[in-house]
Amino acid sequence: MTFIVRQIAVTADGREIIRANPFSEPEIVVGRNAESAIHLPDLAVNPEHAVIRQLDDGTIEIDSTSGQKFSVDGRDKISATIDPSAGAELGFGGHVISVSREDDGIILTVKRVEALSDSAAEREEGALYTLKGLLPGKRMSAWSFVGLVLVAFLIWPIYTWATYRGVEERPDQFHADTMWSSGALSDAHHALEGDCQACHVDAFVTVTDTACMTCHEDDAHDHAAPDRLLTSMGDPEGFARVGAAFAAAFNKPRGRCVECHTEHEGAGAMEPTAQKFCADCHDGLDTRLTDTKLENASDFGIAHPQFRPALLLKPGGKNPPRKRISLDEKPTEDNGLKFPHDIHMSKTGGVAQMGRRLSAKFGFGPSLVCADCHTPDSEGVRFKPVDMQEDCAMCHSLAFDEIGGTIRTLRHGEPEMVRADLRAYYRATGPTRPINLGGMKRRRPGEANDARVASDYARAVRFRPTRANLAIQEVFSRGGACFDCHGIVPPATRGSVDYGIKPVTQTDRYMHKGWFSHEAHNDEDCTSCHNATTSKEARDLLLPGIKTCRECHGGEFETASDVPSSCAMCHDYHADEGAPWLIREQQKEKQKKPEKEIAGRQ
Amino acid sequence: MASVPVPGDVSRKTVAMHDGFLRHAGYRWLKIASAIMLVSIVSYLFIDVSPRHNGGSWYGYTLGTIGALLILWLTMLGVRKRAMTPGSWSLKAWTSAHIYLGLSLIVIGTLHTGFQFGWNIHTAAYAFMMIVIISGIFGIWFYATIPQALSDNRDEMTETEMLENLRSLDRQLHEAAQPLSAEHAALVQQSLEQDPFGGGFFRRISGKYPNCETRRAQADLRRERAYQPRMGGDDPLDKVDALLQKKEATLARVRRHLRLKAMLQVWLFVHVPMTFALIASLSAHIISVFFYW
Repeated sequence: MTFIVRQIAVTADGREIIRANPFSEPEIVVGRNAESAIHLPDLAVNPEHAVIRQLDDGTIEIDSTSGQKFSVDGRDKISATIDPSAGAELGFGGHVISVSREDDGIILTVKRVEALSDSAAEREEGALYTLKGLLPGKRMSAWSFVGLVLVAFLIWPIYTWATYRGVEERPDQFHADTMWSSGALSDAHHALEGDCQACHVDAFVTVTDTACMTCHEDDAHDHAAPDRLLTSMGDPEGFARVGAAFAAAFNKPRGRCVECHTEHEGAGAMEPTAQKFCADCHDGLDTRLTDTKLENASDFGIAHPQFRPALLLKPGGKNPPRKRISLDEKPTEDNGLKFPHDIHMSKTGGVAQMGRRLSAKFGFGPSLVCADCHTPDSEGVRFKPVDMQEDCAMCHSLAFDEIGGTIRTLRHGEPEMVRADLRAYYRATGPTRPINLGGMKRRRPGEANDARVASDYARAVRFRPTRANLAIQEVFSRGGACFDCHGIVPPATRGSVDYGIKPVTQTDRYMHKGWFSHEAHNDEDCTSCHNATTSKEARDLLLPGIKTCRECHGGEFETASDVPSSCAMCHDYHADEGAPWLIREQQKEKQKKPEKEIAGRQ
Repeated sequence: MASVPVPGDVSRKTVAMHDGFLRHAGYRWLKIASAIMLVSIVSYLFIDVSPRHNGGSWYGYTLGTIGALLILWLTMLGVRKRAMTPGSWSLKAWTSAHIYLGLSLIVIGTLHTGFQFGWNIHTAAYAFMMIVIISGIFGIWFYATIPQALSDNRDEMTETEMLENLRSLDRQLHEAAQPLSAEHAALVQQSLEQDPFGGGFFRRISGKYPNCETRRAQADLRRERAYQPRMGGDDPLDKVDALLQKKEATLARVRRHLRLKAMLQVWLFVHVPMTFALIASLSAHIISVFFYW
């Protein structure tokens, strides 16, 4: 038997060329050496890799002479015996040798099956120089991101919203729709931070007043009836019409709480109402709300009515009748007292002199000043009512008797006690005992004179108590202690002494719609606003008009003025007895930074 | 190459004088975009929004609408670039507008936020937008600088030629290595078997291939032969050594080419998916605003 080696080569255009060589030797060499019977030009093959020899029984034996393996039907071997008639496939490196038997011998068909090098392998050249396969595909990652984002930021929050519909209060945990929050809520609403549906009740429906009123039923009273508010706002004009058209198109009705009370503006206090929101209605209000009693106002510096303090119509009682009268009408007010400010504040004259005499005891200066009689209230905003005992009695003494060094005074504010005290005084004390009574001193000669003195004294003692009526009459009449300051109600019947005092009302706040704090103005002298030094009567209303305020306070945009002042500095939409929101917030700020406040004061 | 047309190549065909996508039509779109940015900034400063600027004011909605429409239009470049046409709405003009209007989106988007940021969908959308824009800026930089480097490196070889060059060297190496001993042949074989385009993304983008078998084969052969006497002119190892050196030079060129091509493409692997993330988050942003109106 002979070996017939068939070498199959593939041309560039893919045709196969077969060359066959017969070998009659019983043993042939497989190797990379050119001398080998089966020459495999393959670097993975040893120069002399193996021998193939014929055995007597017709089988062939393949033996590795190099110690390197080869494969038989895919299995690695170092030596193998096969039957050519059954056929087999031997692998050496990138070559395959098929073994078979034909009539004239053993056929060994040699063929290269692997590419000569990696670069020689077939390649898709279009993608070869790109990043394809090295990074996740753009299309795939794009759609993954789309899915991820939509699920996390849209579907999950909507699911949360749907889950908690109608639930009064959400449990304290993370809620996906808080990812939609455009900013932290103000401090007042901080508790609602995780509870979007407290305000955003229905999908695609703007926040309604109903949501606000759930909590603010009691404290958010209307500024005016809603329909009047809308009327006074008027129809939008010019550019605002565009905004209104958009608002209408996107289902945002006008006049809702949230139009002024914007939220999600960051933690901290809610912003005070902007002047714009006031002026929207109050600028030219009478042209829209024709029956209004309010005067137009747009800006403190430009258009603001004269102040209209609530003046007493009649003093006395808990809530005396008052009427708001414009300061332009130069009104006066009877508060039931008589008090000439000019005499008291004069730098010369009896009052100043008396003050100087009493300065050691009461700390008066060279003449009296406002603070000697007027005491600020605890917050410094307004003044306590002037108190007779505290503020007047240093000079205006009500003393009438002295017992053992103790001065007795008439009771202020209780005319009946005054009468009783005076009567008691006259009843309990005798007339001055004549020095010549019953003794030898200054005696006039004659019995008759003794008897006259004794009888005169006895009569005086007898009638002493009736003198009280005269004293009472005097104290309530011109020149008397009461009459000096008070209006006197004369006795109802002739001869009676039941005098009364006209009621007195001291007004601590004249302007209830606006806010004024004296403490904020304590760098100023009192008299720079209150013309007290020339006031001769207590009837004079010493309130300054708007002109005086405007000396320092300009409107919101008058930055050149000393104090540009928006509406919110004095007014509040939902005003209460306290300071406006803006002022409160400023004070809070000051409390946080006391050093700054002190520095600012100096 | 097919997915990203270099604008310069496109214009060369039809426009006599080459001007790039940046300076197209005398910087027309740079001027327009600058005007848009200036108008936005000035109006932002002069328009008084109470209590402070935010995306929910009329001004904020206006900027937001402009920004959203702009984003959609900018995205359309991905559709537009697949159809190349000449003229004032040529792909180059479109690309130029894409770049400059895209940059103006930084101003429009940022002013739309009113500088209010937080851990929410709104800021997420903004962040996606900024990632897209910044990756785009990298893209501009790469497109402005890399084509020249690519051309210098190529030395007038085409990519097919580079591949054929490698194949040819491999064939020659294979031939030359036939007489070598098994050990030496194994070294050469390793060089032949290594994929010249293999290695991961980081190999590709860095251009560093520490496991290069060609270099190793050459180094090992040289180390071995360093103290051996030279046999004369016909030592097959001399030829193998020379061929390995040639192959290494070619590989270096190919790898530089691959690195530059990778840089030219890699920003798009951020830019494009992030654009889609942006559009998704933009949708969520807009829907959420109206949902909790």
